[in-house]
Amino acid sequence: MLPFLKVLVRNLRQGPSTDPFPFAPTYTPARFRGRAELDENQCILCGICRHVCAAGAIQFRAAEDGSGMEFRVWHNSCTYCGLCAHYCPTKAIRMTNDWHLSHKGEDMYSFAETKFVKLGSCAECGATIQPRPAAIVEKLGARYPERFMLCPKCKRETLANHAASRKVIRVEEAR
Amino acid sequence: MLNKFINKIAPRSPWLYRLNAGSCNGCDVELATVALIPRYDVERLGCKYCGSPRHADIVLISGPLTSRVRDKVLRVYDEIPHPKVTLACGACPISGGVYRDSYTVNSPIDQYIPIDVVVPGCPPRPHAIIEGVALALEIWRKRLEEGTCSRS
Ligand code: SF4
Ligand code: SF4
Ligand code: SF4
Repeated sequence: MLPFLKVLVRNLRQGPSTDPFPFAPTYTPARFRGRAELDENQCILCGICRHVCAAGAIQFRAAEDGSGMEFRVWHNSCTYCGLCAHYCPTKAIRMTNDWHLSHKGEDMYSFAETKFVKLGSCAECGATIQPRPAAIVEKLGARYPERFMLCPKCKRETLANHAASRKVIRVEEAR
Repeated sequence: MLNKFINKIAPRSPWLYRLNAGSCNGCDVELATVALIPRYDVERLGCKYCGSPRHADIVLISGPLTSRVRDKVLRVYDEIPHPKVTLACGACPISGGVYRDSYTVNSPIDQYIPIDVVVPGCPPRPHAIIEGVALALEIWRKRLEEGTCSRS
């Protein structure tokens, strides 16, 4: 039989195959990689995301008063590869499935995800260190939570004291 | 009077023109997909691709403007009549995307060509391009009413 009749009947039965967008909402897969989003309460400012970003979309800018860092993902440079989300140790940065990103030309350079990440302070001496949110301490610093909150200097001191005290004990035992 | 009348009926039929400024073809495939595949069909918005810059109303620019094509792109761009609306497709025209910092690319493209609409992505989703074209259409209609050109 005429093959086009088969196609015609099938098309009539299935209805239009055109996606209704932009006149109606469309389907977005849950794992679609769209705009990157940062949860500033999870970020420990390790800088891995900036290091792996081939497009150079991620920038850190220190605040003038030294209280934190401004974290910026410029969506117009991002290639939506998702490497930052993959390598982030705390899953602070993640790819949303939001792709409604078209915007006017005048917003070209300001079209970015800007978040302010506060720096932490050392539990011992109060020196400025990377942020240490509680959720992250549980995850990354579970073995020595109190040492995780220290600045490198205090951490070295505690380690040295710890080692020294153990040595003293051993010396005493040997006598 | 006649001008006003023409400007009133003209918005029904904007012509799209694709200008490849050294793109990797990713964006171009998506731009072609937007019109040629019935699933996305940008022609529902009343626009159609054309082959000549002299007929174009909305220019879709892809690619980071490589040194090799720069002069040719600028020449073609100047042939497009006013009021033209430019849509930058993908990360390349704005920041250079994955080619950023290369000595052969001249992005950001707005050093040479004013950009009206940006659709980020590498490449953008066809739906996102349609959304961008809808935004460009709005700008184009406004420009026709006001009689402004993209350089003014
Ligand atoms: S977002 Fe993640 S990878 Fe980037 S600095 Fe913060 S914790 Fe590190
Ligand atoms: S998704 Fe890729 S390009 Fe975008 S910010 Fe993350 S690492 Fe950079
Ligand atoms: S934005 Fe990505 S897909 Fe588009 S031309 Fe540039 S590199 Fe290719």
